[in-house]
Amino acid sequence: MAQKVPRLKLAKSLDRSLIVIFVAVISLAAMGWALLPIAGPMGHVMMLFPVVTVVYLLAGLRAWHRRPGNRLGPLILFGGFAVFLSGMGNTDIPVFVAASTIGATLILAVIVHMLHAFPSGRLQGRISKFTVLAAYLNSLLLQAPGYLFRADGDVPFLAIADSPPMVALAQWLQEWVGAGVMMATAFVLIRRLVQADKDQRRVLAPLFAYGAFAAIFVPLGTQVLSPLLDMSVETNAMLQLIVIGGIPLAFGHGILRGGFAKTGELEELGSWLGASGGARSALAAALVRALGDPSATLSFWVPRHEVFVNDDGSPAPLVEPGTNRGQVEIVLGSRTVGAIAYDATLIEEPALVRAAGQVVAIAVDRERLTVELRESHGALQRSRQRLVDAADRERRRIARDLHDGLQMQLVLLALEAQQLAKSAGSDSGTIDRATHLRQGLDAAAAELRQLVHAVMPAALIERGLAAAAEDLADRMPIPTTLELEITDGSCASAVEHAAYFVLAEALSNALKHSQATQIQVRLHVEEGWLRLEVRDDGKGGADLHVGTGLRGIGDRVDVLGGLFDLASAPGEGTRIKVDLPCA
Amino acid sequence: MRVVIGEDEALLRHGLQLVLEGGGFEVVAAAGDAVELESAVSLHLPELVVTDIRMPPSHSDEGLRAALRLRSKYPETAVVVLSQHMQRRYANELLSSSNGKVGYLLKQRIADVDTFLGQLRDVAAGGMALDPDVVALMVARAKRSNGAIRELTPRQQEVLALMAEGSSNSRIAAELFLSEKAVVQHTSRIYDSLNLPLDGESHRRVLAVMHYLSDN
Repeated sequence: MAQKVPRLKLAKSLDRSLIVIFVAVISLAAMGWALLPIAGPMGHVMMLFPVVTVVYLLAGLRAWHRRPGNRLGPLILFGGFAVFLSGMGNTDIPVFVAASTIGATLILAVIVHMLHAFPSGRLQGRISKFTVLAAYLNSLLLQAPGYLFRADGDVPFLAIADSPPMVALAQWLQEWVGAGVMMATAFVLIRRLVQADKDQRRVLAPLFAYGAFAAIFVPLGTQVLSPLLDMSVETNAMLQLIVIGGIPLAFGHGILRGGFAKTGELEELGSWLGASGGARSALAAALVRALGDPSATLSFWVPRHEVFVNDDGSPAPLVEPGTNRGQVEIVLGSRTVGAIAYDATLIEEPALVRAAGQVVAIAVDRERLTVELRESHGALQRSRQRLVDAADRERRRIARDLHDGLQMQLVLLALEAQQLAKSAGSDSGTIDRATHLRQGLDAAAAELRQLVHAVMPAALIERGLAAAAEDLADRMPIPTTLELEITDGSCASAVEHAAYFVLAEALSNALKHSQATQIQVRLHVEEGWLRLEVRDDGKGGADLHVGTGLRGIGDRVDVLGGLFDLASAPGEGTRIKVDLPCA
Repeated sequence: MRVVIGEDEALLRHGLQLVLEGGGFEVVAAAGDAVELESAVSLHLPELVVTDIRMPPSHSDEGLRAALRLRSKYPETAVVVLSQHMQRRYANELLSSSNGKVGYLLKQRIADVDTFLGQLRDVAAGGMALDPDVVALMVARAKRSNGAIRELTPRQQEVLALMAEGSSNSRIAAELFLSEKAVVQHTSRIYDSLNLPLDGESHRRVLAVMHYLSDN
């Protein structure tokens, strides 16, 4: 949408807070850069700590700014803090070393947290909540014996006793709890992947894969990979930091592709409504923006038929419970006016959708009337179509009945009259009368042929539009040229029939009213449209509102969703153009 | 003369059979649809086929299509096609596919038994028979756009139509109560004004006239 949405007061206040956070974290990173032994032997690794911190900062601020209601942004920022903390252990300032020792594995818990909370930022379900809690406890509590019971560690002033067995036990416990957390995480993520639809899976699968890889690689890298690949401590540390630094980028990418692609808030939705007046479909688009769910749809309640319909008046698909789709009804006062269907995996809280529904309720109600009109117009259109179809079917039936019944009867009767005239013993009076009878029957048959032709011409049934149009032109008493560029059967027979009767009506109009001396007919198929043009050199001045002929053409064309154009300036002849969609 | 009939209406099929047999034709088979008709013809190899255009299963123009196939497959078999309704397109398809031995008549013509049987015999003998209805349609159409036909006298126009229907000079003379000599005069004047190639064969005369009418 090109429309610029104004940022509201609350959002502006958030923006200011984010600037403060940005300045603060940049200062911290700068301090880290100054305090870390960058000139030392592990200088490259040391440099990465502030760099990765800033990566987290930028990714986290961006997500927070775009999606103020989502907790993933703050969580990414928190991850940046954890990275910063673990880096500060390498300085020689005791208080930083102590803080770093206490939170050394905090980043692992944050990664697990992010994996579970994507994309809504909230933890969904008890397994997730319990697993993330276990991850934090594991990283903070089970880490503690490592410094509390070790007198010769980095931070001897934190030690309360020297007990190597306690240290070993805690480490053993930490490893097993960590493995448990990873297994529970894997279980939850795989289950979510299975339940996700195809589009969601495209975003979720690489993200989950990378997150899980990071959460396993970082703790195991030192014990398993380094000895296996004969890596130096420096390389191993750099790899770990790079993998950790990729986390906010991966989540940032994921949220750009997925639910975070849209910005905006309910307040913005409200202000937008005030500005635009809530035009059709723009309302649904604004709702999509506000919910951050590209798949969200708006439907309207039609009480007369007790159905939800789309904005074009067609019935809205039902939302089945137990699927990935959720639906919230929009209520105005005590009346249902519409419903919002949304992606239930993206938006955990129906309350958010309900609130959005409240904001747009009045606009939806107003639009509902238009949609209701559209729906009833659609129903009317279908009913007209049925009437025209029924009329054509009836014409066909009558023509067939006349052909099979009456026409044949007349042949047989005439034959009998002829037999009578020829039979032995007939006197001359009888012969004359029988012959006269036969001729009368022939005349009746000729009239019947014309009637059948007018009802449903044989050529149309036997060969299609081209032959029937030719037949029509053949029987015109004034010169009629026919330009045909169609093959029979290239359009639906209902369309061909309509075109035929339009042509017949146009020709009979021209004959009756135009005083034309010449008529030109052009009939061709072009890009799925059957185009008919009838031109005469008569007096013009044909009026759509006088007489039923032209109006009948308009009706037929209308029913098929075609276009009808009449140009008939006085003295300049008449031109009728009709375009019908072929299908 | 051996005949195969194609007509889906049982009553009419029977009536047609009686008319033909009364006229001395031998009806060797009477088919109710186009498929049956074609197999009956391949079985009996008759001298004449008389068939309806609209027949089962689709009640469209299968009788005509069967007639065209039969004409090209069995050149010795003459075919007369009957219909409730005349179409210029059908007449042209029949004429252009055959060199004589075809007819295209309204069903109603059956009742005028003598004329009808005469036309069947003409066609079987190599001539052509076109219904006055379709000829009138074509003459009227040609007259609207062609000055040469408009300049013919009414009598010449009558003669032209009868030529197109496939009538011989003697039949034209009988029909118009003229002497044959007068008919010959009329026809040669028609040939002159329309620039038609002179030909004694009746079916070629029909073709020439019809060709002229269709082209103009």
